[in-house]
Amino acid sequence: MQKEELRSEDKKSSYELFFDIPVGPQHPALKEPAFFKFKVEGERVIGVDADVSYNHRGIEKALEQRNYIQNIYLIERICGICNVAHTLCYAQAVEQIHGKEIPPRANYIRLMIEELARIHSHTLWLGVAAHEIGFDTLFMYVWRDREVVMDLIEMLTGNRVTTAINTIGGVRRDVSDEAKYKVKKGMDILEERLKYYKKVAINDPTINARCSGVGILKPRDAIKLCAVGPTLRASGIKNDVRADDPYALHDEVPFNVITYDTMDVLARVLVRVDETLESVNMVRYCVDHMPSGEVKIKLPLSPPIGESVSRVEAPRGELIHYARSNGTNKPERYKVRTPTFENIPSVCEMLTSKNGYEVNIADIPITLASIDPCFSCTARMEFRDVSKGKTWIWSLEELKAHCKKKGI
Amino acid sequence: MNENEISEALKSKFGNNILETKTSKRRVFINISTKVYKDVIRYLVEELGFNHVQTITGVDVGNFIEIMPHLGRGVTVTVKTRIEKNRPALSTITDIVPGASVHEREIHDILGVVFEGHPNLTRIILPENWPEGVYPLRKDYTPEQPVPMKEVS
Repeated sequence: MQKEELRSEDKKSSYELFFDIPVGPQHPALKEPAFFKFKVEGERVIGVDADVSYNHRGIEKALEQRNYIQNIYLIERICGICNVAHTLCYAQAVEQIHGKEIPPRANYIRLMIEELARIHSHTLWLGVAAHEIGFDTLFMYVWRDREVVMDLIEMLTGNRVTTAINTIGGVRRDVSDEAKYKVKKGMDILEERLKYYKKVAINDPTINARCSGVGILKPRDAIKLCAVGPTLRASGIKNDVRADDPYALHDEVPFNVITYDTMDVLARVLVRVDETLESVNMVRYCVDHMPSGEVKIKLPLSPPIGESVSRVEAPRGELIHYARSNGTNKPERYKVRTPTFENIPSVCEMLTSKNGYEVNIADIPITLASIDPCFSCTARMEFRDVSKGKTWIWSLEELKAHCKKKGI
Repeated sequence: MNENEISEALKSKFGNNILETKTSKRRVFINISTKVYKDVIRYLVEELGFNHVQTITGVDVGNFIEIMPHLGRGVTVTVKTRIEKNRPALSTITDIVPGASVHEREIHDILGVVFEGHPNLTRIILPENWPEGVYPLRKDYTPEQPVPMKEVS
């Protein structure tokens, strides 16, 4: 019946039927297993179904069966790229249950490593985004410069990716004066390069043609669909966990919350580049103002009975951990909500043509990449969008009513 | 609004239905009776402006299941309510915050809670071949233990 309806609606179009294009779970355009079914009318995308549950590993159950120390290393493996954010969030959650503050030097080191990880994640993303729009020269350049920060992370923590620097009660390693000197040198190189990339992003005709006006997310939709992180800030909403709910001395280290109001992919590029520059300054501030003292306090293995909600601004957005302890050395319940999970409804919104806003098949890779998706983080998600047929002729009110009905 | 103002506002609005409040730095935990669950969420979202659902946590606590939406972008308000485990049903909040849809579906999958009025309460995170009626995050579920690898002779 629906098909009949669609046909009669679309008599004028040269395409009588709509096609489904399956993308994934294994596909060259996606770096991780996820499945997207795009409903297209010619080149126009009129709807999308997403299934990103291919990586579900049952980590929340596994966390309940291991003790708090083992869990640090399991938490870290939720996601490779934002492992620092996960361990930081976990350590904070457990420390909140203990009701203990960690030494200021430990907080400074945590913040510094977190910002270095943000630089690494955002530059990684910038490279991937350049690759998605076919600008491989930029991709190679950015990833070459990313090695600077990777080497710094390796020097400070002992490992390039899974750093395991945060632990319950502080950090595992101190930072030497020599390391501080090297970090500052590295930041000088990165700042210069990032300023250049910002200039490229603003002036380059290729980037402008592929990113400007693509993947629009209106502020009202962003709030309604609970978008987080750079995706939200690129829609002009000033929101950052580091500013609104400061943790790890983010209230002491000055920084600006970057927003752009063009709501498109280009805005997301610029938000990330500017944020990376802010991170560079924050790392410098940490190096200059790091107090002396201990980097770790000893806490008992079993925290008292209690619960806590811990929040961290991961590179992709707000990360939430909820912990509940029962007095033993294993948590009663541990819940993780990652930013990509929260942003999937928003990306489905970006990929649906409506009310004169057109999405082409060629825009799919960069729009998907623009939320910086991390499916191994998410690994628990299947979303059904408004693509049940009539999307392109609805008024906004009708669409809203439909969204409400569908609970999207 | 700071933490204490929020808990006071809720207490004066809902009276005895607020069973317990606990506040710490930028965190509010309120324990409410199930019958005002939706009204409390509506009040928080529409009147106090906590329009962001961070996530919804579900915990198996013996004979009950605890459902906890965490709301807000600055101060986090955690609303706790308990439902019976042998009849786990609660009204949905997707009509108030559309973004809560995915979280309710997640809890439906892992704890078997039915959110009444949810428009599309289908499987979301578990594989297609997962048996019906098995809820992995309930305490009576024990995951399969890995079998040690056999030596090849």
